[in-house]
Amino acid sequence: MSTATWSGATPRRADNVELAPRISEDWLSLIIGLFIFVLALAGIANLDLLGWVVTTSVWSDASKALGTVSKSYASLGGFGALVATYAALLVVLSAAAVALKSDIKKFALAFTAVFWIAYASWIVGNFANFAAVTPAELQKFGISWSLKLTNEGAYIFALVAGLLIANVFPRFAEAIKDAVRPELYIKIAIVILGGFFAVTAAGKLSLASTLLLRGVAAIIEAYLIYWAVVYFVARKWFGFNREWAAPLASGISICGVSAAIATGGAIRARPMIPVLVSSLVVVFAVVEVLVLPFLAQTFLAHEPLVAGAWMGLAIKTDGAAVAGGAITESLILAKNAAEGIKYQPGWILGTAATIKVFIDIFIGIWAFVLGYIWTNHINRTSDKASLREIWQRFPKFVIGFLVTFAVGLYLALATPAGIAAKVPAAMGEANTLRVVFFILTFFSIGVLSNFKKLWQEGIGRLAAVYVVSLFGFVIWVGLLISWLFFSGVKPPLAS
Amino acid sequence: MSQPNIGEELRKAQVEPLLPIEKKLIGWSLGIGLALLVVLAIVNHLFPASV
Repeated sequence: MSTATWSGATPRRADNVELAPRISEDWLSLIIGLFIFVLALAGIANLDLLGWVVTTSVWSDASKALGTVSKSYASLGGFGALVATYAALLVVLSAAAVALKSDIKKFALAFTAVFWIAYASWIVGNFANFAAVTPAELQKFGISWSLKLTNEGAYIFALVAGLLIANVFPRFAEAIKDAVRPELYIKIAIVILGGFFAVTAAGKLSLASTLLLRGVAAIIEAYLIYWAVVYFVARKWFGFNREWAAPLASGISICGVSAAIATGGAIRARPMIPVLVSSLVVVFAVVEVLVLPFLAQTFLAHEPLVAGAWMGLAIKTDGAAVAGGAITESLILAKNAAEGIKYQPGWILGTAATIKVFIDIFIGIWAFVLGYIWTNHINRTSDKASLREIWQRFPKFVIGFLVTFAVGLYLALATPAGIAAKVPAAMGEANTLRVVFFILTFFSIGVLSNFKKLWQEGIGRLAAVYVVSLFGFVIWVGLLISWLFFSGVKPPLAS
Repeated sequence: MSQPNIGEELRKAQVEPLLPIEKKLIGWSLGIGLALLVVLAIVNHLFPASV
C-alpha cells in the first residue's frame, strides 16, 4: 500500500534523481511491530525487556505525571523513562529511515522535534482538569471541574498541536516533515494492537468471532454501496471524468489515501491524481476525528460496538479511523462508568481497528476489479490488470496484525496456565508503546493537515463532492450498517 | 518538485458521458449491495449475536 502523500519528502540525489527506498514503509511497519511484539513476549520467560517504556497518568502534580510501565524499572523515574523511550524509538526509527533512504541526520532532528512536541501535548492533555472523569477522580485531585475528556482524549491535544504547526508555522512543519509519517506510526501500532486485541478476545472468544464475521459483512456492504454512489455523484452531478472520479470515489468511500492510490494505479490514472485526492482526504479525516467521537459519545454510549464499527467505516485513512476508535472508546467508557456500567476496555478500539484492517485487505481486490474493467472495457490497453496486483497492493502490515493476533490468542488459550497468566502483562507492556505510536500518529496527522489547501484554485469542486458524499451519505450509511450488524452486541463487563 | 495545479488539471479534463459499462458497474454494485443488506439483516434478525 503506497503512502505517497503521508510520508516525508521523497529522498533525492544531489542531481535531483529520486532514490528508490530499499524497503516499503508497509514492510518496515510489519518488521518493527513484530520486533516490539517479540520483545514483549520475553516477559513470559520473566525477561522484562520493555518495562522502561514511559506511561502517563492523569495528574494535578506534574512530578507525578510520568512513570515506567513496569515497577522493576521504577528507579529510572518518570523523566528517565521518557528519555529512554525517546532514545529507543530514535534508534529504531532512524534505522527505518536509513532503509527508506532518508537523510538520517535530518530524520533524527525532525523526529526529536516530533516526539517531544507530541509527547508534551499528551502530558498536557492528561492534566486533571482536562482528563479526570468520575467524581472520585475529581475528589482525588482536589478539583471542582473537569472537561472529562479522559486520558485518551489527550490524543486530541497532540492533533491540535500538529494542526497549529501546519497552519500557523508552515515553515516549521516543512522542516520536520521527514519524521511526519502517520501511516508508518499507525501501522506499527496496529501490528502491536493485534496481540493486545488477542488477549482481550481470549476472554470472550464467541463475541470476538461474532465481531469478526459482522465486520466482514459490514465492509462488503460498505464497498458495494458506498463506492457506486460516490462514483455516480462525482461523474453525473459534478462532471468529473473517469480518471478523477474513480480515485475520488475510492478515497471518499473506502479508505482514503491508500484506496485512492491503489485505484489510481489500477485504472492507470496519472500518479498526481490520487495524490491530489489524498491531500483532501487527510483534511477531512481530521474534521471527522474531531467531531464523530463526540457524536458517538452523545448518541451511541449505550451501543459501544456500533460506535466502534462506525468509526472504522466512516473515518477515512487508517490512522484517523483507528485513532477515532481510541478516542471513542475512552469517551464512551467514561460516560458509562459515570452511570455505573464498567465495560472492559479494548472492544470498541478493537472493533474499529478490525473493520479498518478488513477494509485494507479488500482494497487490493476492489482495485483489481476496477483495473480489470478499465483495462479490458474502458481504456483497452496491452497493460492488462493481473491477479498479481492483488498481492502487490495487499497491505503487508495486516500480516503483522494477523500474526500477533494468532500468536497472542494461542499463548492465552492453548498454553499451560502458568504461561497464559503472563501473557496479558506482556501484551500490556507492548500496548504502552502502541499508545506512544498513536500519539505520534495524531500529531503527524495534524502536521499534514494544512487547511489552506482548501483555498487552492480548483479544489472547491473536489471538496464539494467530498462534502456531499461524506456528510450527506457515507457517514450515515456507515452508521446504518454499523447499527444493523452491531446493535445489541455489548462488550463484556470489566471484572 | 512543483505541485500540480488542480484548477488547471480539472479545466483540461474532458467531459466524458457515462459508458454502458460504468452504468453496469454502478448498477450491479449497488444492486448486490442492497440485496445483500436485506439478506444479512434477515440473517442478523434470525441469528442474533451471542453476547
